[in-house]
Amino acid sequence: MPSIFPSEEWLIELKDYINQDEKYAHIARNWEGDLIFHIEPTGALVEPLCFYLDLWHGKCRSIRMVPAGDPTEAAFDLTASYENIVKVLKGKLDPMQAMLTRKLGVKGSMPYMMRNVPTVLEFVRCVQDVTDKVLGD
Amino acid sequence: MQPILTIDLTTGETGVIEIPSDWQRDYLGGASLAARILFDAITLELDPLSPEAPLLFLNGPLSGTSGPTVGRFVVCAKSPATGLWGESNCGGFWGVELRKTGFDGLLLTGKSEGPVYLFVDDGEVDIRPADHLWGQDTYTVQDSVNAEIKGRAARVLGIGLAGENLLPAALLLADHGRVAGRTGMGAVLGSKLVKAIAVRGSHPIPVADAEGYDPLRSAANRALKTDNFTLTLRELGSASAADYFDYLGEMPKKHFQSGVMEGVERISGATISETILVGYSACHACVVACGRVVQLPGEKHKRKGPEYETLMGFGSNLWIDDAAFVTRMGEICDTYGMDSISVSNTLGLAFTLFELGILTREDTGGLALEWGNHDIVERLLHMIPAREGFGAHLAEGARALGRRHAAEDRAVQVNGLEVAYHDPRGASGMALVYATSPRGACHNQSDYFLVDIGQVEDTLGMEFYERQAGAEKAANVAKHQDWRTIFNSLVICYFGNVPPETVLNLINAACGLDWTLEQMMLCGERGWNLKRLINNRLGLSRANDTLPKAFLEPMPDGGSAGYIVPFEEMLLAYYAARGWDWETGRPSAAKLVELGLKWTLEPL
Repeated sequence: MPSIFPSEEWLIELKDYINQDEKYAHIARNWEGDLIFHIEPTGALVEPLCFYLDLWHGKCRSIRMVPAGDPTEAAFDLTASYENIVKVLKGKLDPMQAMLTRKLGVKGSMPYMMRNVPTVLEFVRCVQDVTDKVLGD
Repeated sequence: MQPILTIDLTTGETGVIEIPSDWQRDYLGGASLAARILFDAITLELDPLSPEAPLLFLNGPLSGTSGPTVGRFVVCAKSPATGLWGESNCGGFWGVELRKTGFDGLLLTGKSEGPVYLFVDDGEVDIRPADHLWGQDTYTVQDSVNAEIKGRAARVLGIGLAGENLLPAALLLADHGRVAGRTGMGAVLGSKLVKAIAVRGSHPIPVADAEGYDPLRSAANRALKTDNFTLTLRELGSASAADYFDYLGEMPKKHFQSGVMEGVERISGATISETILVGYSACHACVVACGRVVQLPGEKHKRKGPEYETLMGFGSNLWIDDAAFVTRMGEICDTYGMDSISVSNTLGLAFTLFELGILTREDTGGLALEWGNHDIVERLLHMIPAREGFGAHLAEGARALGRRHAAEDRAVQVNGLEVAYHDPRGASGMALVYATSPRGACHNQSDYFLVDIGQVEDTLGMEFYERQAGAEKAANVAKHQDWRTIFNSLVICYFGNVPPETVLNLINAACGLDWTLEQMMLCGERGWNLKRLINNRLGLSRANDTLPKAFLEPMPDGGSAGYIVPFEEMLLAYYAARGWDWETGRPSAAKLVELGLKWTLEPL
């Protein structure tokens, strides 16, 4: 049974999916950078939520929820409302559109990010592929 | 708004024009208001380089108010490059300083007996001899003029050799290399024998509701400062998305003939930032600061760094991957006062024709135009503004060069203006933008390539279509053109990723209006159609709404390989969305009435 977003099970599923996806492995083969997603509570999400991914050379080395107050830092900090994250997960909001229309905040090396847009888009495809159901559906 | 200063260069007489309040409301300012003011004067018979031709510099209601990216002005005339509506806008500080003189605009007519420069010092106008300045480059002339002015330095806008020699690609340059680059406005100023215009003022910038405006502009700037697009532009410059554009097959290479190029990453904004970037530069009160300051290897002095169009024009377009070389070519264009897009595009055509054997060494004065040859490119750049040898042929632009060699279809231009470096095969909305822009193939009447990768303003009713979608995006393109027409009226830089609601609130406070988003967009549509009407009068019809042959053939490789733009279907849908007549290429009478342009029906 597919896991629901957001949950620990969903994170594990995402890690496994990324690590077996050949297209992602190829396009992201040079990517070196971890990310923290900050999800602001809107809609069905009532508390802020945060998770961490360590992406390295086309693989996901680790993934976990980050509890409130945890000092974990990453190369990239991404912030969006739950509603907009769900739109991205369901393919109703393009990730570049989210970036360009003030719906997704990004902190980190812009040169690196702009050089690796295809990697970002492939990552989002993987995320969409593993998401069948989200909180609030 | 403040009045417009008029100067008749033939007689030396000056005057002022007060703009009727209904014109201010209907067109706001900038390019749309310029179109209204010049509507009667720009005729088919008018020679754009004759004394009779008017040249109008105009600010918008937001210019100089320290709002988000609003330090710009427009310059408009009949274009010597296209024979159509000419419009170019420019950042820096000159336009703001003009507003501080107590005038929102400056209208030049006539022709001076000999070279002059103009000095507008608050309300005073001085026309001064400039024989000794004629021949100076666009940076030197700023220093020379200021050396002759007592007191605080003025802001100086000038032309270089290209403007003096009336090149269709001649531009106007002010400040630290901010240019009104396209449609040959520098040639129009040169035709009047005006080398430069210095402005210095101390008047406050008028705003209808200052108490309401100030907190709005502060909030807008704070939001803009942390916007993703802003952060990207500041860190990487206007070539920030070059790598992505390359991936999509949207970045032209080898004069729009190749989809891939080894080493192309060496001319991206990211590479510039990581190698030669040493600082940023900004226009008046701008929080984006897209301008690059670079230091080339082995040099101690700093230079203006290249923006996207120059990087691609003298880089991938000419099969060159050397950012330092491109930087120097951009600087040469600036000092001579030449538009780097038009000149590099024309060079690309020359290299193409040479490769095809259509051009030979006999034509080029013995030069072998081989792709990637730095020395040849630099040599030609010096020959073009001087109209020296083969440079004289290049000086007339791509359409003329193509015609000269019975190869006009090889020129990548629309209506006489060379295409900017965004390939519609990678972002199909640009097909309609290039074909229908009022000033020829241009990315500054709509930067729809950004919409095609996601910059979609849904509060304006815009939708996100796949980047290689066809007719279904036509109405979206029209809507974006209207939105950007508002920008060109205000005058806001496209790099200001400001939400429509914020723009609306700024307009209402600055102009004392109580508009809705719909009314704002109607104003944009009105401006777009008014420029279209001017062009119709100048002979433009549907036959002019075309694309160069290069874009109607598939790219052999790269991110847009194999895709052919379904242009005819897109244009048909665009006409329907616009309410334009398919037979004549003109806005329908019903559309004109809807837009409050019924008054134009009689002259047509």
